[in-house]
Amino acid sequence: MLDKLRQEFLESTTQILIVDNTNRVLDTDDSLFSVKKNSDITEFHPFFHVISSLFDDDRKEQKFYCVQMEVQGKTCFFDIRSQINSEEQQIVLFIEDLTDHYKTVHQIKQVRNESIINFNVTQELNHELNVQRGFKNKFLANVSHEIRTPLNSILGFLSVLENTSLDREQLDLIGIIKDSSKNLVSILEDLLDISKIEAGRLEIKNKRFNFKKFTESLIKTYELQTQEKRLEFITEVGANIPKFLIGDQLRINQILVNLLENALKYTHQGTIRLRISTPSRNMRRIPVTFEIIDTGIGIPKEHLSTIFESFTQLEKRGLFGGSGLGLSIVKQLTQLMDSDLEVESIENEGSTFKFTISMGVSHDQKEEKNTLQTLRKTDKRSSGGLNKKKKHRILLGEDIEVNQLLMMRLFADEGSYSLDIAKNGEQVVLFLEKYDYDLVLMDLTMPVMDGYDAAMRIRGHTNKKIKKLPIIALTARTSEEERDAAKEVGMNAYLTKPINADLLFKTIDRLLHRYKNRKTTEIKQ
Amino acid sequence: MSVSKKVVLLGHFGVGKSSLLRRFVENTFSENYTVTIGVHIMKKEVQLEKENITLVIWDVEGTDDFTKYRPSYLMGASSFIYVFDASRPITYGDIKYNLEHLKEKFPHVPVHIIGNKVDLVDSKVILEELKAQNIQHSYLSSAKTGENVELLFENVAAQLLENA
Repeated sequence: MLDKLRQEFLESTTQILIVDNTNRVLDTDDSLFSVKKNSDITEFHPFFHVISSLFDDDRKEQKFYCVQMEVQGKTCFFDIRSQINSEEQQIVLFIEDLTDHYKTVHQIKQVRNESIINFNVTQELNHELNVQRGFKNKFLANVSHEIRTPLNSILGFLSVLENTSLDREQLDLIGIIKDSSKNLVSILEDLLDISKIEAGRLEIKNKRFNFKKFTESLIKTYELQTQEKRLEFITEVGANIPKFLIGDQLRINQILVNLLENALKYTHQGTIRLRISTPSRNMRRIPVTFEIIDTGIGIPKEHLSTIFESFTQLEKRGLFGGSGLGLSIVKQLTQLMDSDLEVESIENEGSTFKFTISMGVSHDQKEEKNTLQTLRKTDKRSSGGLNKKKKHRILLGEDIEVNQLLMMRLFADEGSYSLDIAKNGEQVVLFLEKYDYDLVLMDLTMPVMDGYDAAMRIRGHTNKKIKKLPIIALTARTSEEERDAAKEVGMNAYLTKPINADLLFKTIDRLLHRYKNRKTTEIKQ
Repeated sequence: MSVSKKVVLLGHFGVGKSSLLRRFVENTFSENYTVTIGVHIMKKEVQLEKENITLVIWDVEGTDDFTKYRPSYLMGASSFIYVFDASRPITYGDIKYNLEHLKEKFPHVPVHIIGNKVDLVDSKVILEELKAQNIQHSYLSSAKTGENVELLFENVAAQLLENA
């Protein structure tokens, strides 16, 4: 019985075929397909061309899995085992039909391969997008640098010009140019922020800060501006908000300034309300809700969903110059702080922008000592604490002539310093070796030797005095990477162009003071 | 009767090995991807100036790891055609490794390297990319448009006759 069943099973699934070394069919049981005896088996299917190579192979047996063949119009999958009889120059082929099994395998592999290929294609598209995005960000960074450099001289010389004898009309005109230039600077900053956010390079830096002072200063600024526009500015800051909080002061300020500027721009009568509140009395972390409510022109319903779109869409709508760019940044900044910006608006009635940030509560709620301000007051440029008779010698490394002229002009108004100029980093090092200086101002992008290399040379110098000189980086480059790189090569401060004269001299004073103290300590030792 | 030679198409899955074969043998093309499992074999006689040659072409299931190929599929091969997808870098990123394996196991079998689906990419860009990766390809082809398909198999055949 078993023999009969085995026989039947084998007959329906396996064919035995005997061929010689010239591919001639010697015998066949025709279980799966029929071939004529003495015919050339390669005529039945090209697979059988393999027979000649089987005779050349050392192995007596070979197995070919999953060989696809068309048999009577149907696709079949066979496992084929070969057995060589070298003496007779014959080969026996056991052809097993596993079509059903392999069809299942085929289905599984079809789905698997398709999903892998789709994944690869998506990955490739993402890669291309990232390359394009990288190019765009690099382009933005370079363009902004190129624009910042001439803007630096425009703003700098405007400040110089402002202090010459001018009539009222001329001063007004300077004011307009200054405002426009500042507007351009803020657009550049927005562009850089957008590119940083898109590249995932904008980090939220949470630090302890005086929240009370921060809101007071913000309110003061906008009280003046709303008064000028004859608007009422109502502020409600929750009394239960701790004085010192932990958060990213810079970015919270950026969000609020953007929203308040928008409110100011689009409100022509009525009120602007700034509400800051928290429902929590938690001692560790509190949700702080910021609301800016205006009675302005409002936003049409159909635009509510698009006002936060990134600048490519805004550009299409022609809002590029109108600083619609700011809202996109604000939205993304709130998202980076694990929050979201909500907007409610009724056309011709007003808008409410609202977001809630979770902020840490500082354990230390005591006022910090403001050493900087004290220093500035006592030190001033009359150099109370510094040497009164001797001017401080500052060396500037700067290759662009117009920037050199601007710095010369800024320093000309300051009696406490003398300024020398080197055209590149190499010259900076040479001058330091030749003359005595108290501080170096270093442009980062210079020919021959750039600011980074020059700073490294200074920090590695064998002369101890040169080695320890304070260095301030002056650059139009604003990225975190550049800032970190400057820090890494030992620069003590980093100022971005357009140069703010007040900040420049404050920084110089601070570093000179620190340097002087260090020198005194060293002498005492 | 012409001499017949075994040629094996190798490469990752989905690079278009079966499409190249169908374009060459049947002059057809389908946009739909149908996975090949095991091996699918077709033959075609190529007419050359001096002599005709029958190419018995084994279209082997694609894999990214050539060490996984069943030895029985590759035994007796006279020529290998290594196909990659010019639009998917992952299919040519490991060429050197796979070629080394082939060279070690089949030192005397020539390998032709083909970048298929060139209709999907900018050929200048892909040529630069291949140059940067030091990949010595034989052709950029397209089974869809037929670009370089005939030429590829004719050259494989000519080389086989030369070496015979």
